[in-house]
Amino acid sequence: MKMDSRIALARGGPILIFVAALAPVFAVHLHAQGFGDQGRGVVQNPATRAPRAAAPKDLTGYWESIVTEYWRYRMVVPDKSDYVITPLNAEGRKVADAWDPAKDKAEGNECKAYGAAAIMQVPGRVHIYWQDDTTLRIDTDSGTQTRLLHFGGSAPQGEAPTWQGFSVASWEGFRPDSVRAGGGGPIRDAAVGGAAGAVGRGPREVGGEVPGYLKVVSTHMRPGYLRKNGVPYGANATVEEYFDRFTDPYSNETWLVVTTVVTDPQYLLEPSITHAHFKKIPDGSGWDPTPCRADEAR
Amino acid sequence: MKSTKIDLKMQGLWFLLLLLLLPVRSLWAQADLTGEWSPRIYNDGRDVGDYTGIPLNEAGRLRAESWHPEQFDLPENICRPHAFDIGLRVAPAQLYISTELDPATQQVVDYHFHAYWSDFRVWMDGRPHPPEYAAHKFSGFSTGKWEGSTLVFTTDHLKEGFITRVGVPLSEKATVTTRVTRYGTYLTMVFMINDPAYLTEPYIRESSWVYDPQQIIPAFPCEPSPEGTIIPAGSVPSYLPGKNDILTDFAKEYGIPPEAALGGAETAHPDYLKKMKTMKTLPRTTTKHFERQG
Repeated sequence: MKMDSRIALARGGPILIFVAALAPVFAVHLHAQGFGDQGRGVVQNPATRAPRAAAPKDLTGYWESIVTEYWRYRMVVPDKSDYVITPLNAEGRKVADAWDPAKDKAEGNECKAYGAAAIMQVPGRVHIYWQDDTTLRIDTDSGTQTRLLHFGGSAPQGEAPTWQGFSVASWEGFRPDSVRAGGGGPIRDAAVGGAAGAVGRGPREVGGEVPGYLKVVSTHMRPGYLRKNGVPYGANATVEEYFDRFTDPYSNETWLVVTTVVTDPQYLLEPSITHAHFKKIPDGSGWDPTPCRADEAR
Repeated sequence: MKSTKIDLKMQGLWFLLLLLLLPVRSLWAQADLTGEWSPRIYNDGRDVGDYTGIPLNEAGRLRAESWHPEQFDLPENICRPHAFDIGLRVAPAQLYISTELDPATQQVVDYHFHAYWSDFRVWMDGRPHPPEYAAHKFSGFSTGKWEGSTLVFTTDHLKEGFITRVGVPLSEKATVTTRVTRYGTYLTMVFMINDPAYLTEPYIRESSWVYDPQQIIPAFPCEPSPEGTIIPAGSVPSYLPGKNDILTDFAKEYGIPPEAALGGAETAHPDYLKKMKTMKTLPRTTTKHFERQG
């Protein structure tokens, strides 16, 4: 037996050394690919890295909305009852048909179209910055609104709902689908908050970019409008948003794209999905704060 | 006997090494895009004469203004496909994405995007784009790579087509960069269209789909036929410059200054709202324009 082991070691030793040398490399690879640690995590450790430090992408700065689509619904106040493309149910259409901007103005509800479900659609500029290590803040010049994206926490109980509601943020998409082998199953989001990966190691770059995007879920909102013309969302609506940024290699301009999914059992037949994109601007020199206005586009 | 045992151990070591090497393929795929995706953008929502927010140059605007809606009724256009990106936006753009793997290396050779109106492959194997003189197609030629959690692919060799369904042109010189990101059960594509012939700057727009494994994409049984068309043989409906009598209908129906309706890069910026306040509008012809769209 001793002879066998020696022979085996002599013949297999180089292979073992090779495998041992490669093991850490593939361990990272396997981990990043989602093998062997389903339900745990990404290559971040929340105990050692705050959400600000763990950000896979820098979303901060000044951004200007560029309205290249659905211009007639965003750059002008659409006509009453124009809810084309929005999946309103019968009750929602009834509310939209009764829209009265003068009444909103008289009742102090001019911010109805500036709530969390719609504010990213309103033409204007946004300023994104870290209020602290766990709170990303978005200020808008249109309607002069403030959104606080909390990494952790939950909607306050017993407090009155607000236009912007309570937003819970998380970094997602650090790892691939753990059921890829099955081909096409839904990806389970893996938040930094659930991570237990290698301490102090940042996410691995792929193609020069760090994987990941910002997911924000907002609830506890005052009922408002999806469009300026009174297309409603109710008090139980949920707003799910995905923030992503990239640089266009042709123009070298940096863009922020926000995909918004509004789910509202009261007024929508199915979730409503919209997009807004913003171009990075150098500073806040064009900042043009306006109050909420029921009868203007911004 | 001893020799057999040693060989088995050797085989085991090699097998272990092979196991470690196998997942290299998945480095190519940072998220699983494959499967059935149900669209959530139903059309591009534009009427004839609505070029708002599109960075058209003068040549693009001239082409757009000469376009006649009846061009779709020409027999040769009835089954004409859209360029790949707008083909993914036209209802019902049910989408199926699959991959083809190299049987030897198990690496992804291409992503195959199949929709009712659009079908194309995104080559992931590092092959170069063909020379400029190679054939241009409605599906173009696409090569891709992963950037973070996003599949980014560049398409060129497109045939002349349209950016919108109301005649805004896309030239054969256009390049489209598409970014595909999966957000849980949602799939978002960001299209960045560069067209030196008709645009002054890149034009950006998005579409989204929802994961829908039960979806069944119907066939597209279209056959070119003169039957049912109202266009006499040999004629091509179009408008000469300045003669398009339906061009301002959009502006009149929506109460938008005709100048704004003509588009241009400036119209996409929030500050354009101030400028619009100084512009004249035409007398409105209706406020119920949306009713005809169902």
